[in-house]
Amino acid sequence: MSTALETPARTVGQDPEPRRRWAAVAALARFEARELRLQLSFLGIALLYVAWIVWQCTRGTDDYPALQDVDRDTQSVPMLVGLSVMLWVNRAVLRSHRHDTERHFGVLVVEPWRRTVGHALSVVPAALFVAVCVTVQFTWESLKSGAVGHGSPGELAVGPLTVLLFGELGVLLGRLVRSAFAAPVLLVLLLFTQVLGTSASGGGGWTTWLAPVVTETGSRPFPSDLLGRPAAWHALYLLGLALSVAVLAVLAAGGRSRTVQAILAGALALTLVGAVAQSGGTPAATVAARERDSLTPEKVQSCLEHGTSTYCAFPEWRGRTADWAAVVHRVQGLAGGAAGGERLTVRQRIDARGGLTDSPAFDPSAVPGRVTVGTAWGGNRVPEFAVAVASVLVAGNEKAGSAVCDARMVTIMWLALGAESDPMTLFRHVRLDDSVTGSAIVLAPTDPLAMTAEQTRIVRELLKMPRYAVTARVKAHWSQLTSPKTSTARVAELLGVPAGPVATDPDGDSCEG
Amino acid sequence: MRGLTAPDTAADATARTGGTYAVILALVPPVWRTLPRTALAVCGGSGLLLAGIPRLQSGPPDPWLCVNLLRGAALMLGVGLAFLLDDPARHTTATVPVRRPLRSALRMALVAPGAALWWTLALLLVPGRARPPAGALTLEAAAIAVTALAVASAAVRFTERTEPGTAVAAGLLVTAMTVPTVLLPERWALLVAVHDPHWAAAHERWAVVLTAAVLLCALCCSEPVRFGRPVRLARR
Repeated sequence: MSTALETPARTVGQDPEPRRRWAAVAALARFEARELRLQLSFLGIALLYVAWIVWQCTRGTDDYPALQDVDRDTQSVPMLVGLSVMLWVNRAVLRSHRHDTERHFGVLVVEPWRRTVGHALSVVPAALFVAVCVTVQFTWESLKSGAVGHGSPGELAVGPLTVLLFGELGVLLGRLVRSAFAAPVLLVLLLFTQVLGTSASGGGGWTTWLAPVVTETGSRPFPSDLLGRPAAWHALYLLGLALSVAVLAVLAAGGRSRTVQAILAGALALTLVGAVAQSGGTPAATVAARERDSLTPEKVQSCLEHGTSTYCAFPEWRGRTADWAAVVHRVQGLAGGAAGGERLTVRQRIDARGGLTDSPAFDPSAVPGRVTVGTAWGGNRVPEFAVAVASVLVAGNEKAGSAVCDARMVTIMWLALGAESDPMTLFRHVRLDDSVTGSAIVLAPTDPLAMTAEQTRIVRELLKMPRYAVTARVKAHWSQLTSPKTSTARVAELLGVPAGPVATDPDGDSCEG
Repeated sequence: MRGLTAPDTAADATARTGGTYAVILALVPPVWRTLPRTALAVCGGSGLLLAGIPRLQSGPPDPWLCVNLLRGAALMLGVGLAFLLDDPARHTTATVPVRRPLRSALRMALVAPGAALWWTLALLLVPGRARPPAGALTLEAAAIAVTALAVASAAVRFTERTEPGTAVAAGLLVTAMTVPTVLLPERWALLVAVHDPHWAAAHERWAVVLTAAVLLCALCCSEPVRFGRPVRLARR
């Protein structure tokens, strides 16, 4: 009896210590985080995200990642995780309203604003999960032997911060609008403007950077000092925005204490600082560096010797010169005459003047023996580079090589592909229309080359014949095969390819246009 | 239970054809009253808000944003329609002589004119310069709407839930979030820009989606008959 009377007297007389109240908030946050984890749709999207990471990291076409692009590639899919978190956190906030248990919670010592804090904190584990996934994805890519460049922590932080921001938006929305339809509307809006709409944005000035994720993906990686993206400021902006939204939700739930107001002021200040600092556009120093690297790359590049040739690469790509040298060695091994030992200069080029999303074509170089290579590598870039090397060996320089449209095209294609283990697949891929019959455009790092239907047939036959036989014939007739005067029929005869079922088409030997 | 819904004799059938219109006419007011008007109004209103965003922006409208916002509006309509077949009294109406296909069709027919009007309004809200081809976008919207109805029908057909709308809407949203963005490979892309060379091919795929959804809707609209089912399972 006496204990029964004593206990209420103590609780009523003095406030329960604040630590106990925050323990309740933490328990609520843990419970809500667990509920979120058990939601089927969140679980499904999380599994899909993990599967997407595994697929991205294991597909064969991406064995040579540039880490300054990989960090940006981690940003877009976490938005989907964030949207599902937003949907379910919003449902969790409205649960007591939906089930009409608000009155029961009203008698508890944990005030509504503290419960909102619990909901806001329940988003944190989801953000941490995404942070772990992003780290794994980036580490996996950076451990690949072909990886070059440097990642940026600011870019890597965007994914988890987006999840945090979207989750807090769900909490705020639940506190402002007591309707289950509010979150789906916001979800659809964000889905169609942010997730799907980002590809068309760009060049919109400072407002572009107010969006949570700004990817600016181009087809060619830049050296990391030419990116000029305010990654760290943007991460600060997102952090400030997520904090502000969370504190606004607490404020909307009735937490009007001085501490809350001070935190809100701090978070808004963070957001403002981030937003202002990121809006400066590309810094003048970066623009100057882009100009310098595009027009006079030799000022920053260092050159390495592999065999007889010289390879000049931007500092971050030095490790890749060995891969280029392997291709050059393969192509030169098939060439006859002086071309087999010709001293080539392979120079890496980039045109960064148009910004990240712009990827203009390179002008072919007229310097004898100079081959251009881009910043991307792996997949189709390898045979394209081989075509460039072969055209320089046959025609002397890139400008003349890209203008070849006579029978020398057969020699170029044989040199480029003859030493590959699966030449027919590469032949298909290096042609613009992915065909192995008919006339087509052949891709190269600079201007593309053109080949006729008859030349295509001869190359196809050559690639099916035993390599040693063709190699011997090419070396024996090298001077005729590299002469612009030799006709296609003569080249076929020299290489031992039988005449086609149809007579050589009339413009088979001439350059159209 | 089966006796009530089993096929009738020929005499009954002739008597009924004459009375079908009367039955439908009698059904219209109660079905109209039970439509999920709140869900439809909220989703319709927010869909129009989405479609109207380009008019609120300064500067020339972005065609990619406009086409995506129209798709967002269509998705909002789909979310609203996901609630259409919610019926708290479905277990009591399972035995009435008017069958579920007729009742479901009546619900859809009552909503259809409003939905068509709403979609026209949404199309007109997009500035004329950036408006995508109306026919193609209408196909997309129809595919989304009928998919929502088909999933709702399937939920009614295969579960015991009286109000599956929330789950159907969530499923629709999650599908919209994941399928066109991550799951579909590039060659089967559904969300393409207007001047994309794959625009026509993408709309053939949308037509396939629409056809599949209509078929699913037709297959799932009948009343689930659970004879021979163990009592233990039925009570669960």
